[in-house]
Amino acid sequence: MPHQEDIALMAHLMRRAGFGAHREELEARVAKGYEATVEELLHPEEQPAIDEDILYRFFPGYEGALGPPINQAEWVYRMINTSRPLEEKMALFWHQLFATGNSKVDNPPELTQQIAMFREHGLGSFRDLLVELAKSPAMIYWLDNNGNHADAINENWGRELMELFALGVGNYSEDDIKEASRAFTGWTIAPKIPRNPLGRFYWNFEYKPEDHDDGEKHFLGHTGNFNGEDIIDILVDQPASPKFLSRHLYNFFVADEPQVPAWDITPPGDPAAIEMLVNAYVESNYDIRSMLRVLFNSDFFKNARFARVKSPAELVVGTARMAGNYNAPRPGFNMLAMECNWQGQELLNPPSVESWHTGPEWIDGGALVRRVNYAANLMGNIDLPGIKSVIARIKAQGNLPPADLVAACLDAIGPLDVSEATHGELLAQAQDGGELRWDTEEDQTKSEQRIGILLSLISASRDYQFA
Amino acid sequence: MLTTVAAGRVFDYSYCIGMYGMSGQGFWSPQDFAFGSDGVIYVISRGVEEIGQRITRVTWDHEFLGQFGANGSGDGQFIWPRSLDLDQAGNVYASDDYLHRISVFDSEGGFLSAWGEAGSGDGQLNGPSGIAFDSNDNLFVVDSHNSRVQEFTKEGKFLGKWGSQGTGDGELNMPWGICVDREDNVYVADWKNNRVQKFTPDGKFLVKFCGNDKGVGDLHGPTGVAVDSEGDVYVTDWGNHRLQVYGPDGKFVTTLVGDAQQPSPWTQTYIDANPDIIKARRRADLEPEWRFHRPVAVNVDSQDRIVILESYRHRLQIYNKEKEYEEHSLNL
Repeated sequence: MPHQEDIALMAHLMRRAGFGAHREELEARVAKGYEATVEELLHPEEQPAIDEDILYRFFPGYEGALGPPINQAEWVYRMINTSRPLEEKMALFWHQLFATGNSKVDNPPELTQQIAMFREHGLGSFRDLLVELAKSPAMIYWLDNNGNHADAINENWGRELMELFALGVGNYSEDDIKEASRAFTGWTIAPKIPRNPLGRFYWNFEYKPEDHDDGEKHFLGHTGNFNGEDIIDILVDQPASPKFLSRHLYNFFVADEPQVPAWDITPPGDPAAIEMLVNAYVESNYDIRSMLRVLFNSDFFKNARFARVKSPAELVVGTARMAGNYNAPRPGFNMLAMECNWQGQELLNPPSVESWHTGPEWIDGGALVRRVNYAANLMGNIDLPGIKSVIARIKAQGNLPPADLVAACLDAIGPLDVSEATHGELLAQAQDGGELRWDTEEDQTKSEQRIGILLSLISASRDYQFA
Repeated sequence: MLTTVAAGRVFDYSYCIGMYGMSGQGFWSPQDFAFGSDGVIYVISRGVEEIGQRITRVTWDHEFLGQFGANGSGDGQFIWPRSLDLDQAGNVYASDDYLHRISVFDSEGGFLSAWGEAGSGDGQLNGPSGIAFDSNDNLFVVDSHNSRVQEFTKEGKFLGKWGSQGTGDGELNMPWGICVDREDNVYVADWKNNRVQKFTPDGKFLVKFCGNDKGVGDLHGPTGVAVDSEGDVYVTDWGNHRLQVYGPDGKFVTTLVGDAQQPSPWTQTYIDANPDIIKARRRADLEPEWRFHRPVAVNVDSQDRIVILESYRHRLQIYNKEKEYEEHSLNL
């Protein structure tokens, strides 16, 4: 039997580096070892990719989806069914950091292409990722670089590249923005066939040398005839760049930080952790995988359990994975996508280029009701395969007194730590039914229902809102 | 190329029918089609999630006659409509690979009956995909997740079955489309095995179509199959976005890639009504629009017109197999 602490630590890793895992998977991973599991997660290419033939056979409309929530549903399907959880989690991370929204782009397939780019490059070099981002047609359109011309610059991309994507406020001047924008002139999108009535056609990146400003530029202390890639080379060598990226990684994977706009006036909660990540960045030549290896193997990560509020996508996907009713094509993925929307996270359509406010700001009165209702409905449904599996695990422990029943439920879907207040409520509910018994058919039916109610209550608790 | 000449055959592009439409005139992720009498073509649309599921009636000359079916699990409704065929009386049979059943409509779309039961026993279905009638008016059903073909009477009485999961001759892996030739031989698009297999009416393996060992004529995820009056076999090579043509013996003949340079009248009407779209089209390379994207089903009519349905482009492209073609002078 694996040690309970090992299971709890592995559950923590899988909640953060993925979207949670069943007890059976946790036990298998503990047997494999923590560091070996981290390595597996860091090398998604060694695990099978989502079978897109299956996906598009059963959901032909997901390919080149005409509009939300279909494109969102496609991503939710991948998040639930991936064998490469960190790859998908990193796609979500980059989407949150490089927020690009359908409200303006109005091109769901192109946004989906951008997410696919994050899958491909999301664990590699930060420098290469920024180059790919600069060439992403969805990003070009989102931040108007198609309107950035040699004789009339548009500063939108140049500004956000520094302010929101690579450096953070206070690390560049207005002149740097102008010079960076000059360097990205000519980076645009080729004309494409318009949408409808024959479905969607993809954009292609196009570099137009005749529209590129070939003059000398002065950028962050460097002078030269810079093009876009030169600007990115300079950016990733700025001391501010790894600090900014490390804080984002910490905020997403370790513990909630203040909202990003406050970062220039509020220091990180754990400066030593940021320094470790910065060192990993510098030593590895901007390698994201190396930073994450340090992060997941660090004590600051291992000790940060339940220190983050789950984003809606994490809550929706994690609960659906646990309930186990979406592990193959079936109708209803669009409703899971809508659930994310209703809880405040419209995938592929963040509210602005500043992205979502995270942490406690995920939750307001309306969002909390949606989160509770969604999770409680799924976790309380004793007909779902994942819940049946939880029941079987508890049943294998035989008749249980109420306190052990509560412990067994918390263990089976986590292990989940809960506050004294929550534990008291759960215990009171469990005591109402007395000992959990499996002796007769009637006992069994009643016990299954009682477990369903307890799981429902647990998933409605404050504690369940944290990852 | 609008005209393709290969191995003594000539395939001449003719025209296309259709466009995207959530409802009414148009198709939405169409999956299969069948020819009815009086120039009517029935096209079954999968739609997306809860919308767009229906069977459309359209003529060869673009007249939209109406539609029937909708989302749901009640009589005459679909969750995942997949395939359809017509019996000799002109009634329409449609498979649903989520509801594991066959729904039957009259030629005008009036609901008649439904049969099918989920499971893996004789006569039970798990993900029924392609369907096709033989000359006796019995229905072959590709029972996809059970890796087999089953034969039923029109009323759904089980008659026989063949096939099992595997990669050997006669074995199947998530098969999709099916057709029956004039001798009642049965062709099955063996989707996950990247090949088409031909069987006798009672399921004895005859020949397979999958290209040669140099990759010529390969298939990736074949979906639909049809046979013309001369025994040539047409396969929608869904994963490679093309139509592969084979001789009766399985030898590869040629590839068609789609040639819809002229939009269908429905599409043209849409374009003409949108000045911005006209403007945008004049700046774009239009070739991607001509080409097949997810060709999903193919049928050949009595005149050897080859009709290919594209799921992603929501249209039918039509080729004629020219029998009286005279080669042009090369030095023109």
